[in-house]
Amino acid sequence: MARRPLEGIRVTDFTWAWAGPYCTLQMAHMGAEVIRIESAKRPCVTRMIPPFADNEPSPNRAGYFNQYSQGKKSLQLDLAKPEASEIVKQLIAKSDIVVQNFSTGAIDRMGFGYETLKQLKADIIMISICGYGQTGPERNYMGYGPASVPLAGISSLTGYPGVGPAEVGISYGDPNAGIFGAYAALAALAYRQRTGKGTHVDVALWEALLALMPEGIMDYTMNGTQPERAGNRDRWMAPHGTFKCQGDAEKWVTIVCGTDAEWRALCGAMGRPELADDARFADATARKTNEDELEAAVTAWTSERDRWEVTETLQKAGVAAYPSMSNKDLATSPHLEARGYLVQKEHPEFGKRIHAGIPWQMSGSPCEVQAAAPQRGQHTEYVLRDILGYSADDVEKLRGAEVLT
Amino acid sequence: MAEQLLSGLKVVECGNMVSAAYAGKLLADFGADVVKVEEPGGDTARGRGPFPGDTPHAERSGLFLYLNTNKRGTTLNLKEAKGRGVLHGLCAGADILVHNYAPGESGPLGLDHATLRAVNPGLIVTSISYFGHDGPHSGYRAYDLTASNAGGWASISPGASDYPDFPPLKPFGHQADFQAGVHAGVATLGAYYHKCLTGEGQHVVVSAQECIAAILEMNFMHYTYGGMETSRLGRRSIYPWCMLDCKDGKLFVICVEEDQWKRFVELMGNPEWASLEIFEDRVVRGQNYDALVPFLQEFAAEWTVADLYKAGQERRICMAPVNTMADLLASAHLKAREFFVEIGHQVAGALRYPGAPFKVADVGYAIRRPAPRLGEHNAEVYTELGVSETEQAALQQAGVI
Repeated sequence: MARRPLEGIRVTDFTWAWAGPYCTLQMAHMGAEVIRIESAKRPCVTRMIPPFADNEPSPNRAGYFNQYSQGKKSLQLDLAKPEASEIVKQLIAKSDIVVQNFSTGAIDRMGFGYETLKQLKADIIMISICGYGQTGPERNYMGYGPASVPLAGISSLTGYPGVGPAEVGISYGDPNAGIFGAYAALAALAYRQRTGKGTHVDVALWEALLALMPEGIMDYTMNGTQPERAGNRDRWMAPHGTFKCQGDAEKWVTIVCGTDAEWRALCGAMGRPELADDARFADATARKTNEDELEAAVTAWTSERDRWEVTETLQKAGVAAYPSMSNKDLATSPHLEARGYLVQKEHPEFGKRIHAGIPWQMSGSPCEVQAAAPQRGQHTEYVLRDILGYSADDVEKLRGAEVLT
Repeated sequence: MAEQLLSGLKVVECGNMVSAAYAGKLLADFGADVVKVEEPGGDTARGRGPFPGDTPHAERSGLFLYLNTNKRGTTLNLKEAKGRGVLHGLCAGADILVHNYAPGESGPLGLDHATLRAVNPGLIVTSISYFGHDGPHSGYRAYDLTASNAGGWASISPGASDYPDFPPLKPFGHQADFQAGVHAGVATLGAYYHKCLTGEGQHVVVSAQECIAAILEMNFMHYTYGGMETSRLGRRSIYPWCMLDCKDGKLFVICVEEDQWKRFVELMGNPEWASLEIFEDRVVRGQNYDALVPFLQEFAAEWTVADLYKAGQERRICMAPVNTMADLLASAHLKAREFFVEIGHQVAGALRYPGAPFKVADVGYAIRRPAPRLGEHNAEVYTELGVSETEQAALQQAGVI
């Protein structure tokens, strides 16, 4: 069998909520052995909130946890016990990467700060993720994912005209910090490969979002202004919007013309070739000037048609169009199904559920989700015995002393 | 030159706009030698703003300047066989090629993996596209807006919307393209680690639609676990989770845990209304948010954003100002962390840019050079490649360079 890209890499995973787990998910996707440190006393928040399989609330049945811990392992420990701390230290000594997303300072108080980790494993790679970063005057502030969106200025730029700043529907700061954390870890791995040295990386939700906002920030640094909130419209392209289709309030199709040729193709496909010769819409500048009329003409056509019919008609004509997909649309998409993106691994408590899979494919070192997310503590015995060399007796003693809870 | 995480990696980047360019920038900003190959007319990002005075100029696009720091820039006509020959010369000595040409476009441009593997079996070819290279929609055209809808993000944005007639909302900028770029960076460096151990290159295919579908929080599972179709309409399930109007602007507040709400009530001076049954836990508060918001609003209206933000955060209540660009550039925290960087450019001049997406002591992000002017490094790069001056002149004559 072909080697997976991170085969042989072990990750001690202290993460919780979403940012950290999204970081280590990438590593699990690539074949690293990711071991989540979990506790019965303080279960991950994502194990505690709906949706649950069969609508039965239980830490092992939570969709949120199970999506973002696919292919990982779970070691259950009561870290208040010194023996548990010792076990974690032994595991870190056998790990390549440690990831944590506690509030600033918490990991040091737990006794697993970077200086300690280096003593356990000289070339350890440590990824620390938090809202504001490990330094700076606001480093101790709480920075949940939803709050990072207004904090980073995304809200002040996103929204319907005349309605005020908007959120974006997801705790965007979280997965974004997670993906940057994964990038940093892999860059650090390349560095370790070349130099033999480890690294500590400081990821702030806030800054990782700002890195994706150049159009807003540089408008300000160039012109002292910021763009108006414009809904789905673009500064340069028109049409550039999401248009109502036949059906209920959730049925929409998005259409973009980036060139005059695409606009002419759209006119033809709508059966309105005369619009292509209409001076009001002759080029991008004219279409931007008359965008309300332009959108009205497009809506008149889309609103009487099914969104998939619109998509197929326009794509055949070479125009970018696609339905605005709901979660149901995604989970039942023939395209995603054909690509192998929808993952269903057997879970011992409830069988199979569809999860979002791996957004890339590799030809030489194939990536595949290895297993469903772990039940809490599912791999405690495996970690203690197979990785750390504890005997069955040792494990029983630890269990008796309530270390493994 | 100072050592960085990715010093020594050799990368070739082709394509237009954001996703491939951002994957290339991430490699370049952390030390890789990235040669950007533009079509003779230039990357389309050069025609997208922001521009000073809103006046388009190929060397003054804020988007292009940001996306292409630390790269050397060349031009090459890949529609010509000789152009593809030069590209293959560049790829012969590279670790990574990253591009975002669509599946149907990349073959004729000499960017297909089979051809490139013959040139350099150790080359990692990362192809970023909107829908992947197989499956019934792989040939579909798309832009950033298309991907933010195709991936399911827009259908739940802005969230808790009161406007059913308003469409699913895209987040500002090119978020879908950027996500494709960062995810491509992750996959590419995974493939690079594999190469370090085995010497093997390979083809990495990244789908922007799938990157977005991977970051929908618990929404995907609301359907596959709960049978529920989620929407941009409706309400927050917990409360407070909202923006409040202060004297001088808006402040966002969210109380996830009950103790956070208790501290918020304390900050408000333990008003009588807070002990009403209709506000007794976060879910009930969510159900009765119509009654709750006016109370919160009345309180917030007495404060400035900065004061309430500080007072809340000091009590460990998660608040955040709804920052404008001006607020961000003035932030003492970001200043202390030296987030924004000033970069000079021969045509665009000195400007402040967003800086490091994450911090690494000593061997992290660094700016070694600004974005290249169109074709700025043609002579330098092609001479390194062993193309003589005479040949370069001939290629230029033939419209290849």
